[in-house]
Amino acid sequence: MPSVTLLGQAVIAGVLIGGLYGLLAAGLSLSWGLLKYINVSYFALAFLSAYLTYQFGTFNGIAPWWSAVILVPAFFLLGVLQHWTFMRLRVTELTSLVVTFGLAVLIESLIQWIWTADFRKYESGFSGLTSKIGPFFVPTLDFLALVSATILAIATWSWLRWTYVGKALRAAAMDPEMASAFGIDHRRLSFLLSGICSAYAAVAGIFIALIATLAPSEIGTWIGVAFAVVIIGGVGNPLGALLAGILIGFAESVTMAVTQPAWAPLVSFTILIVLLLWKPRWT
Amino acid sequence: MLLEASHLNIAYGDAPAVWDVSLDVDEGEIVSVIGPNGAGKTTLINALAGLLRPRGGALGIAGTDLMSVASHDFCRHGIALVPESRRLFAAMSVEENLDIGGYRSAARRHRNESLEQVYALFPALRERRRQIAGLLSGGQQQMVAIGRALMARPRLLLLDEPSLGLAPAVVNDVFAAIGRIHRGGVAILLVEQNVPKALEIANRAYVLEQGRIVASGAPEPLLARAEIREAYLGFAN
Repeated sequence: MPSVTLLGQAVIAGVLIGGLYGLLAAGLSLSWGLLKYINVSYFALAFLSAYLTYQFGTFNGIAPWWSAVILVPAFFLLGVLQHWTFMRLRVTELTSLVVTFGLAVLIESLIQWIWTADFRKYESGFSGLTSKIGPFFVPTLDFLALVSATILAIATWSWLRWTYVGKALRAAAMDPEMASAFGIDHRRLSFLLSGICSAYAAVAGIFIALIATLAPSEIGTWIGVAFAVVIIGGVGNPLGALLAGILIGFAESVTMAVTQPAWAPLVSFTILIVLLLWKPRWT
Repeated sequence: MLLEASHLNIAYGDAPAVWDVSLDVDEGEIVSVIGPNGAGKTTLINALAGLLRPRGGALGIAGTDLMSVASHDFCRHGIALVPESRRLFAAMSVEENLDIGGYRSAARRHRNESLEQVYALFPALRERRRQIAGLLSGGQQQMVAIGRALMARPRLLLLDEPSLGLAPAVVNDVFAAIGRIHRGGVAILLVEQNVPKALEIANRAYVLEQGRIVASGAPEPLLARAEIREAYLGFAN
């Protein structure tokens, strides 16, 4: 059994990484729930954003917040373009998984071609920053990621819950024909949502660049966790995705501290299977 | 004339469902379309609501040609549908369903006023406005479906089988509400299998059989015809 300090440190690390899981899963959750596209290309897009942040910061001297100013709108447009292409190709819910998986492989190859398969670490100059709370260390960047994830999740959730556009998106996901009978132009709204999903990937990527070590092969390791987060949090629910991300991050981190790091990948799917068998009301 | 449909042909893929149907509804009227199962009543009303696009013929409202209007713009021209089997947004609350009804910008400006009208018409909905629509009883769901259409502030309300699956007492409530909506100045086109109810409330009626209009006119002369009494009321004399 590890010491209380070590366990507390593991809890903090887990909860903080949960913010990143939430950011990464948000795009898939929204697109699956409201556009009926199971879009796994967002993980590759997040890594593209991470590599661009690394590139801008390391070789062009652009600070990560300026990268955000460039990448978030650029990825929004990329999401709109992607949706336009999917509509032209008549991609359906079922085929979307295959098409976007292919797209993810394509983006991964592109990343590997440009930046090679070597591990890359973005030395932003902030990676060592921590604050000390009692006996615990809180890494500043991870904390920022969680704060950003929380703000974005609450904003997106409120937008879907309270605004006309949000209600229209939810209604159109349930019955597009009836939504259209009341004046909802689902096509136009779906472009907006697709842009937002892709912009989420950009934000996730910026924090991945700041926190993690980059390699094209890392994309695959994040997909499994993100799928579990999406399903546990409730498909189409951005706040649920964040809470599920924190839950899984917490459980993984505590498992690593109590047993061995090798057990961590088991955690997310164990939680997923238990919840699918138990079926609590929120899933 | 408010709604004018002439020589409409409607088909699903290669299978024609409605042929050469002409029908009109004037301001202030209640018009019923009766007919047996599979006659094409729902097909016809869905085409009038813009959900299905006719293959041929003409469709217009208050002088505006609807044939080239996008489906999602039909409600802007004052048409609102209460669809068969209600088709509520089941996972959303009652009030969210009503808000979808009032989505178009001209309707949004009157949101609170419209909500008050709907709650005055169906007081049961006011108490249940935060409940999930899919969990309500059939009668209450029908009220939500009618309320949702009213939130769009229509000139013409299209009702598809509003009595379907409801207890007789609830059917009476629904028809009483339809009467009040009509007296409030909304023209109504009603498709119904409950022929006595549909003819009792209507100013005029059409009989649709196998995709064609076979008779039309005021309810009394229609009911005076033995073949119609026999087919729809189950007795000839």
